[in-house]
Amino acid sequence: MAIAPPEERLDRDPGVPAPDEVLELIGLSKAFANVQALQDVSLDVRPGEILALVGENGAGKSTLLRILSGDYRPDEGTMRLGGETLSFTSPRDARRAGVRVIYQEPEIVPGVDVAENIYVGELPHRGPFVDRQQLDRLVADGLHRYGFERVLPAQLMGDELSPAQRQLVEIMRALKSDVRVLALDEPTSSLTDEEVERLFTLVRRLRSEGVAIIYVSHRIREILQLADRVAILRDGKLVAVRPAGETSDAEIVRLMVGRELRDVFKRRRAVQERVVLAVEDLRSAWHPGVTFEIHAGEVVGFAGLVGAGRTELAKVLFGAYPKHGGRISIDGHEVSIRRPRDAVRTGIGFAPEDRKGEGLVLVRSVLENASMAILARLSRFGFVRRRLERRVGREYIDRLRVRTPSLEQEVGKLSGGNQQKVVLARWLASRPKLLILDEPTRGIDVGAKAEIYALIDELANSGIAIMLISSELPEILGLADRILVMQNGRITGELSGPGATEEKVLELAMVDHLTAEVPGGETAQPAAEGLQPWLDGNQGEAP
Amino acid sequence: MSEIEAGRIKEARPPRVQAADAIRRLVGFVGAENLSLLFALAIVVVLIAAQNSRFFLPANLLNIGGNVSVVGLLALGETVVILAGALDISVGSIAGIASVVGALAVTSSGAMQLGIVGGILAGLLFGVVNGLIITVLRVNAVIATLATLSAFQGVAFLIAPNGKPVGVLDRDFAWLGSGRILSSETFVGIPISLIILLVVAVAAHVLMRYTQFGRSVYAMGGNAAAARLAGINVNGMKIAIFGLSGAVAGLAGVISTARTTSGQPGLGSQGLELEAITAVFLGGAALTGGKGTIAATMLAVVLIGTLSNGMNLLGIQTFYQDVAKGLLLVVAVAIGQWRAARAERARTRLA
Repeated sequence: MAIAPPEERLDRDPGVPAPDEVLELIGLSKAFANVQALQDVSLDVRPGEILALVGENGAGKSTLLRILSGDYRPDEGTMRLGGETLSFTSPRDARRAGVRVIYQEPEIVPGVDVAENIYVGELPHRGPFVDRQQLDRLVADGLHRYGFERVLPAQLMGDELSPAQRQLVEIMRALKSDVRVLALDEPTSSLTDEEVERLFTLVRRLRSEGVAIIYVSHRIREILQLADRVAILRDGKLVAVRPAGETSDAEIVRLMVGRELRDVFKRRRAVQERVVLAVEDLRSAWHPGVTFEIHAGEVVGFAGLVGAGRTELAKVLFGAYPKHGGRISIDGHEVSIRRPRDAVRTGIGFAPEDRKGEGLVLVRSVLENASMAILARLSRFGFVRRRLERRVGREYIDRLRVRTPSLEQEVGKLSGGNQQKVVLARWLASRPKLLILDEPTRGIDVGAKAEIYALIDELANSGIAIMLISSELPEILGLADRILVMQNGRITGELSGPGATEEKVLELAMVDHLTAEVPGGETAQPAAEGLQPWLDGNQGEAP
Repeated sequence: MSEIEAGRIKEARPPRVQAADAIRRLVGFVGAENLSLLFALAIVVVLIAAQNSRFFLPANLLNIGGNVSVVGLLALGETVVILAGALDISVGSIAGIASVVGALAVTSSGAMQLGIVGGILAGLLFGVVNGLIITVLRVNAVIATLATLSAFQGVAFLIAPNGKPVGVLDRDFAWLGSGRILSSETFVGIPISLIILLVVAVAAHVLMRYTQFGRSVYAMGGNAAAARLAGINVNGMKIAIFGLSGAVAGLAGVISTARTTSGQPGLGSQGLELEAITAVFLGGAALTGGKGTIAATMLAVVLIGTLSNGMNLLGIQTFYQDVAKGLLLVVAVAIGQWRAARAERARTRLA
């Protein structure tokens, strides 16, 4: 592959603003089969500007990005950069023109280190051999330039990287060549608060260097904080473009959904006396000893920073990770849960955070996924009673309003929100006593979120005990009757009623972090700054 | 669309639409993904029949059936393993053990039934050994069965007295391999081995489609982590699946013994496992598991059998035949990939 001399690649001169190279999208349309994914969208992004792109899933954001990256060719419309018409036939054309799109899940080669990953396909070489010295120097310079040396050690292997680090690798790949337009697709969805801050710093810096930035996100507060202008897409059409300073989260949500989102967190439930789950001194590789209870009809929210041990707690409870000691009781009887099968039999349901990796069998049908946990109940002499299965499946699929053409549809072909509903349908069909929900609305659009909130409320009302793990504070504050805050595998506090505020939760979640060194070697952000990403929910104010 | 809606719309439809519906239902039964296999089979049949008039004789057609029985059986067991997301390359060697054990059982007892049962049990036993190596010792299935491919072949020779084939004179037993039923003046009869293959195929189809076991196989093949979290006993399933594959390979070994009237310890060195795996992938099963059907594997077995029978009739050299089979697999998988890519493009519309 022929490329520019490597020495120049990481040397973007921050002092000189780029020439006036406005990116113009003019009348872009794209249809698939009979769905109009994008209809006559015209937008422009100026150098040194951050344009946020928001919309529900299916609004056309991804299609727009894929046209920009050269993956798709528009049916109609043109793109111009600095007056020159862009015509991409492949992602390589787009890169050559200085247009880069950073996707949520970048391609990382697992078996090689960060340096080689950044320069993958374009390794500096001397004859047939990789010039390792030069590579190391280039990478070190680049990382230093953007202050990533400590967050992204160049010698880490691809499969050791966190989601944030993977994203940084992809960004570094983009920055090593001359970037004129940078588009980021939901870059913060899997980042911790510090990482988000660091990313923001980087994005602002690139803005000051004259890059035109398109920023796609679900987190509206984050957008208002970062972007100069906000473009709202709905059903493939551009609904509005607003200067960030002249709009509000409420207005953006209204424009996105086309209706006002109100009463999302309407709580009508009454917590019962009966204790469903009692955990005493539960110990594991992550937990020095955790004790708590969940009552029938109660939603207990688990708040904390990423890495506080919440997901691990759920998995230990469910038998997916080993337990070292302690007692778990369901309905007053001590139970022995050594594997997920035991947990399912005991009446526990678990919707994992990683829906595609651990929740669903993507290549199988909606019905098979929904009935997976209750096959034994549906079977007689080992034979699945298909009519009964369909009836039960249909009941829960309808109840959860899963939008699917049929029960036979492959789950992998549904949208994220509908996939999550299929996971929930599976566990509702198992009629659980306790339901563990780990980040139940991650990556789900606003409309489906509201439906899932209503469902959680309804389930609690029917007497199910719910363990809700979420990193979106408004979600936890709005839904939970009680909030347990975790840090380093311990429960550091319990909040409920009017005492449960975002500030209080953060204080309990971060109290040590304010002074301690955090992994990565840097001192944590002061509370006020670290607080910011927590406040980024889609729902605006918590009640 | 709910069922009620569907019913209402159907009532109002004109007859032509109903005919289209019937076709669609037929396609649904065969499976849309199997259409290309049927199409390929039709082409092969037309090409061969145009060149050789003997092809359509019932005697020849039934010959095809008889000849594919051993590989067909192995392919059925292999389908279950592959659907579960694994691979069993030791089935040929297991068939070798079963062949020897079956032959010894028949010659020492004189009872055909004992030979059959002995062979199947031997297959089951060594299949379970595979399963235990994979679950208890946590060895990857491909590596584990690669190891036992070699080890079990050695075992087969060790069991055989002096490491030589075991001749079987029992006539009942030979009938199992080359006998026919319903034969008359005008009809050559249906090979017993073909009937056994069909019975096992139907059983496998029912097992995979209608039972809790089959569902669990598809689930763990599609996503083992999700299957485990849904309460499926993934390790237990693996042992059962490899045991099943071994037992079916045992039966295949018994049939092979009956066809050749000798227990063949060298059965594992004939590449039978590769033929079986070829058939499964020709049937469109996904290497990663979770996708594929017994019916598709059977279609692929018939297609391969027909192709080699036809080429024999046309007097084509074996070497060309081997090349043709290889090409068939590449073309079939390439077509499958192309269709998948097209479907993928059609669905990435929103998102």
